[in-house]
Amino acid sequence: MQHEIATPLADRSPTIVVVENLVKRFGGFTALNDVNLTVAKREKIVLCGPSGSGKSTLIRCINHIEKHDGGRIVVDGVELTDRMADINGVRSEVGMVFQSFNLFPHLSVVENCMLAPMKVRGLSRPEARERAMDLLRKVRIHSQADKYPAQLSGGQQQRVAIARALCMQPKIMLFDEPTSALDPEMVKEVLDTMVQLAAEGMTMVCVTHEMGFAREVADRVVFMDQGSIVEEADPETFFRAPRTQRAKGFLNQIIH
Amino acid sequence: MNSLDFSILLQAWPYLWSGLLFSLALTAAAFVIGMLLGTCFALVQHFEVPVIARIVRAYIALIRSIPLILVLFWFFFLVPIVLGHLYGNGRPIPIGATWTAFITFGLFEAAYYSEIIRVGLRAVNKGQFEACQALALSTFDTYRCVILPQVIRVASPIILSQTIILFQDTSLVYVLSLTDLLGAASKLAQLNGRLVEMYLVVAVVYLAISSAASQCVASLRRRYPLTGAHK
Ligand SMILES: Nc1ncnc2c1ncn2[C@@H]1O[C@H](COP(=O)(O)OP(=O)(O)OP(=O)(O)O)[C@@H](O)[C@H]1O
Ligand SMILES: [Mg+2]
Repeated sequence: MQHEIATPLADRSPTIVVVENLVKRFGGFTALNDVNLTVAKREKIVLCGPSGSGKSTLIRCINHIEKHDGGRIVVDGVELTDRMADINGVRSEVGMVFQSFNLFPHLSVVENCMLAPMKVRGLSRPEARERAMDLLRKVRIHSQADKYPAQLSGGQQQRVAIARALCMQPKIMLFDEPTSALDPEMVKEVLDTMVQLAAEGMTMVCVTHEMGFAREVADRVVFMDQGSIVEEADPETFFRAPRTQRAKGFLNQIIH
Repeated sequence: MNSLDFSILLQAWPYLWSGLLFSLALTAAAFVIGMLLGTCFALVQHFEVPVIARIVRAYIALIRSIPLILVLFWFFFLVPIVLGHLYGNGRPIPIGATWTAFITFGLFEAAYYSEIIRVGLRAVNKGQFEACQALALSTFDTYRCVILPQVIRVASPIILSQTIILFQDTSLVYVLSLTDLLGAASKLAQLNGRLVEMYLVVAVVYLAISSAASQCVASLRRRYPLTGAHK
């Protein structure tokens, strides 16, 4: 098959992220202890676990916002080392959405979305603007494009943050508790956006305790505790019949 | 005691105006040099650049602990001597009062602006740096497009008040026999004997310029809200 030979190796591989024997320490404290995780293309993973279990640390290692101390991380065929070229190569393929949005307060909504495509991807200003407007439309916030982040509600800001990440056309999106800083009435608009993204085939790793979202979207729920992955299952199995005592205890807590 | 007579202003105005222009030019030049150099100084400390950060810190500590007037003297008398030893036969090479003023004020203000920016850099939310990393922005673009614009905006009231002080300090150039606004007024006052009128007018000009500058920043901040309530 002609076209398959022409495809680069990384593109044919069914996996996009491989995490092997990952170790992360903060001083003497081991935040991640021998974590293994493989993310397939188009797969949606929900990461959950008690506070301090290392969920944020794990996804922050995947785009090297935290530097790992042991093990291997390979993203889209590129291993994360200390080389800045590799790191920025990986980061430009990995979108990230933070709990606290982290929009740039001095830039308007559309400028927030245009900055990285222009600086990193080399798009011209009109190209970047067009792409930004397309994605702002997709998250249904294009009418606010010229406002500043402080003029938007939390839910709107988080949707802008999602659009900003999508403007880099990432191959995978990481979400770190994207709805836990929001007022309850704004959670749904952000989750709807994420569901839509999932339906379009985006590869996603989400740290969230939104069980409805996990049930609807996740292919796999990964449960962490004390720096290790304790249990993995499809959402139905995980929520109905968790195998470990620790997962049972955790689920009891978030339901009540 | 005569009553106030502002009619002499008509004659005095051209000379006062040239003094004012000098004050403004010196302020502008010192502002630009001071901000550029001060930003570099702040970044060197922020990145903990080995050796250079220590030198910069020592320089700032030194400049901030001596009066500006002393620095002016140093530059005026010492720099020509140093230049003479470096490039000549040991005879002082004069650099002129105007150059002395511009260079000294720039270097002096750099120490103050750099402290303002250094504190501002520390105040930027960690999440801003992380967002830049996640978007694969280079360090240069991170600071140029995201971090420094925020620092400058947040620090703008302090930068402005420092600049107003700078504007008032330009009157110290009288020690170099240069004529700024205040210098022009006092020379005229001695000639025409109208001390009260001259010093009143000068005070009004300083007041007008300083309050106009404050108004500017206030309206800038309204236009570009950094934080605040949802609207
Ligand atoms: N920069 C840091 N310095 C020191 N310790 C840290 C740092 N970041 C995280 N830790 C520690 O590492 C552990 C894991 O933190 P992490 O933020 O990954 O947990 P989490 O599962 O995301 O928790 P949460 O649900 O509260 O967000 C915690 O004990 C935390 O205190
Ligand atoms: Mg966390």
